[in-house]
Amino acid sequence: MFLRLKNINLRPKIEYTFNMIRIHNFKSCILLIAVFFTFSFQSLAQPDGAQIFKANCTACHTIGGGRLIGPDLAGVTKKRKADWLKQWINSSSDFIASGDADAIAIYEEYNKVAMTSFYFSDEDMEALLGYLETPPVEEVKVAVATDATQDEGMKSSTKMMIVALVLLILVFLLTSIKNSLKESLGQETKTVSETVIAQTNAFLANNINKLFVGLFIMIVVLKFVFDTLMGIGVTTSYQPEQPITFSHKIHAGDNSIDCNYCHSSARSSKTSGIPSANVCMNCHTNITSGTATGTAEIQKIYDAIGYDPETRTYIEGYEQKPIEWIKVHNLPDLAYFNHSQHVTVGGLECQQCHGNMEEKTVGQVATMQELNNISFNKENGIEFEHATLTMGFCVDCHRQSEVKMDGNDYYTSMHEKMKEKYAGEKITVEKMGGLECGKCHY
Amino acid sequence: MNKLILKLALISLVVFFSSCGGDSDPGYEFMPNMYRSPSLETYGENTINGMNAQLPVEGTIARGHLLTFNYDGTLEGYLAAGNTTVNPIQDNKKTRTEGKALYGMFCEHCHGETGTGDGTIKHAIYSAVPHYNDEKLLRRAGVPMNELKPGHMFHAITYGLNAMGPHASQVTEEERWLIVNYVQQELQNSGK
Ligand code: HEC
Ligand code: HEC
Ligand code: HEC
Ligand code: HEC
Ligand code: HEC
Ligand code: HEC
Ligand code: HEC
Repeated sequence: MFLRLKNINLRPKIEYTFNMIRIHNFKSCILLIAVFFTFSFQSLAQPDGAQIFKANCTACHTIGGGRLIGPDLAGVTKKRKADWLKQWINSSSDFIASGDADAIAIYEEYNKVAMTSFYFSDEDMEALLGYLETPPVEEVKVAVATDATQDEGMKSSTKMMIVALVLLILVFLLTSIKNSLKESLGQETKTVSETVIAQTNAFLANNINKLFVGLFIMIVVLKFVFDTLMGIGVTTSYQPEQPITFSHKIHAGDNSIDCNYCHSSARSSKTSGIPSANVCMNCHTNITSGTATGTAEIQKIYDAIGYDPETRTYIEGYEQKPIEWIKVHNLPDLAYFNHSQHVTVGGLECQQCHGNMEEKTVGQVATMQELNNISFNKENGIEFEHATLTMGFCVDCHRQSEVKMDGNDYYTSMHEKMKEKYAGEKITVEKMGGLECGKCHY
Repeated sequence: MNKLILKLALISLVVFFSSCGGDSDPGYEFMPNMYRSPSLETYGENTINGMNAQLPVEGTIARGHLLTFNYDGTLEGYLAAGNTTVNPIQDNKKTRTEGKALYGMFCEHCHGETGTGDGTIKHAIYSAVPHYNDEKLLRRAGVPMNELKPGHMFHAITYGLNAMGPHASQVTEEERWLIVNYVQQELQNSGK
């Protein structure tokens, strides 16, 4: 391992000197080429212990990171002899069967979990043992301060607040500059409020100005009332805080976990479902800390389900409590929406209705603009004109969306008839009766 | 100068007010009893025993969910499953496409698209996922990955193994057999 590291460090250096020297000294140049080649040749032939470890062992072991499935391997080469280790790694089951006391003891200690038999070649084994002997120096992690939520950038409202504050500060600054100037001239000074009042009075003394101001206020008030009324029951871009700052970006985005892995009932039922804690535990039995939030957020899963990340076991007799996620999307009971009808039968993508969830933290109702920018919607010529989760939203899509005709045995005869009836036309959901009140209302 | 100050003050007021209202507010609801009705909603709460999400009553079987795979999660169960079960799924183009889709949803991010263990999860723990077409390393069953039997795989999906969690709550029995069929036909001996 040590050798290899040295090689990597040396290579660019040699190349560099090589270029420099060529002009001046041809002899040393050849020498350098020779050195260079032997080095790189060596690094090719040498099996890489780090690589072997990463590709075979990290699922069960860490070096200095605590216990996983198997023990922490830090210092194991001091604890065990090389020969013992070789036998163990090649085939722990054979070794245990051979009756070695230490092997049996550690096997019992880890509840008889069988380790894979590896049968490495001698060179690979040497490289691996070399790596275990001198594991990499603990990387000093640069604290990544980007909070999962900060990633998305500041909210626009916060930005506006800051602009307003800066402007206000400017007002007071200008006034104080003016006042100090005036003072130095021996003139009368005014505070901000005095100036504002005096100016407003002067402005309103004019009747036409009064009319304009009156009209302006009326329009603003009316617009406000109208917007509020139109906004009733519209929950666009709603994103409440959740009990765990779960990030879709990390899971569905960076690590490309499929939406259906967690929302596994979307394919087959009305609701899409929120994953229960056992689904999180498929990975988080072993991933006990995150880059952004450390152990704080993941610990909340353990608190709910009763898991001890130190010993990696479930606490017996623990009173489990549910994680109380806050429902984001919510249609009134008078409307019926079914996921499997859209995802499985209609073949739609989640993004067509939920936007780029893989770029957000917790669940959010996508805005209309966002949905119109989704490539699936663009490709299929779907453009929304009504806010998400309103009736107009459903109707917009049903008017424009084509029905998926192939691979749907259930409707074979129905689809045949429709193809005949609407020959040459685009068969939208509307033509199938998707705008009948009874399809969505009961 | 005074006018400028007045204008600035006005602008800052307007900006300040327009910044009100955040995304953490669902807005107003017309007839909220239609949105938050007393009827029991999926995953809601109830006053009888707390959660609506409940396990089936013990001793009952949900329609279409008769469990046919009656092996327990132990090593003995695993070995027995490998020896005795056969895959009830017929291998044809349709079942393979279905299996592939399901594999993409539930396994690909760890086992990789071609089954070589190069999934998309970046965490170190999942850099050592075994290859399906590995013919060297002996597994629990005493055979390498490319010789695992349908029962072994089904058992692994149902009960998990070490760093791979159990996936029984996410995929039904039929779907599990579809995945096993796909893995066996397309991935286990790929590259040969
Ligand atoms: C399937 C998970 C798994 C994998 C993969 C795995 N191990 Fe292990 N290992 C274990 C378990 C579990 C134990 C504890 C003994 C037991 O129960 O078999 C263990 C024990 C050990 C021990 C003995 C530790 C001691 O304190 O005596 C060594 C050394 C070891 N493993 C090395 C390796 C190396 C090197 C690799 C990669 C080539 C590897 N293991 C891969 C699960 C695994
Ligand atoms: C398929 C594997 C997988 C599943 C399932 C999974 N996670 Fe994660 N989770 C990860 C990975 C990978 C990370 C990134 C760890 C890192 O940053 O190193 C992570 C990180 C996290 C973090 C920390 C984020 C950070 O960077 O600080 C939280 C909190 C979290 N997950 C919660 C959950 C919850 C809640 C669930 C269940 C709904 C869940 N996870 C399910 C793989 C998974
Ligand atoms: C045709 C549009 C559409 C598509 C496609 C769609 N959804 Fe939904 N989704 C909705 C609507 C509408 C609701 C609100 C349902 C309600 O409140 O009854 C919703 C609700 C949800 C919820 C909240 C829980 C629930 O079921 O009420 C989740 C989670 C969800 N969707 C995930 C998904 C995933 C994952 C996919 C892709 C597999 C998907 N959705 C595809 C429209 C859609
Ligand atoms: C690792 C598991 C996981 C994955 C993968 C995942 N989600 Fe989620 N999703 C959750 C959890 C947990 C919640 C509940 C907390 C919240 O609202 O963010 C949720 C919430 C949601 C909601 C809001 C539900 C509501 O209350 O209305 C939507 C919509 C959603 N997810 C869509 C998606 C889509 C689309 C994808 C794929 C791009 C996806 N999810 C991938 C775990 C996941
Ligand atoms: C992104 C487009 C899209 C959106 C948005 C959408 N739908 Fe659909 N919907 C479809 C498609 C496509 C089908 C046809 C599926 C099929 O082939 O049967 C469909 C079918 C239906 C059906 C069955 C119709 C029938 O005749 O069998 C109902 C009910 C339905 N949708 C309700 C809703 C509701 C309620 C909403 C709004 C919350 C909604 N849909 C939003 C695309 C959409
Ligand atoms: C594609 C599905 C769909 C169809 C078809 C449909 N609606 Fe709706 N309708 C909805 C949804 C979803 C809502 C709830 C919107 C919301 O929450 O803002 C709604 C809301 C309403 C409301 C408002 C109820 C309230 O209390 O806010 C009325 C009234 C209504 N629909 C009447 C009709 C009539 C009449 C028809 C037939 C011409 C019809 N709808 C067809 C999906 C549909
Ligand atoms: C969270 C990541 C993850 C997911 C998701 C996952 N696996 Fe695994 N799988 C692993 C790991 C890690 C191992 C190695 C376990 C060990 O040897 O300790 C493994 C091992 C296996 C094995 C070998 C078991 C044995 O008996 O030796 C099979 C078969 C398998 N997985 C199939 C699947 C299938 C099918 C799916 C999809 C339903 C799946 N896995 C999903 C991580 C995963």
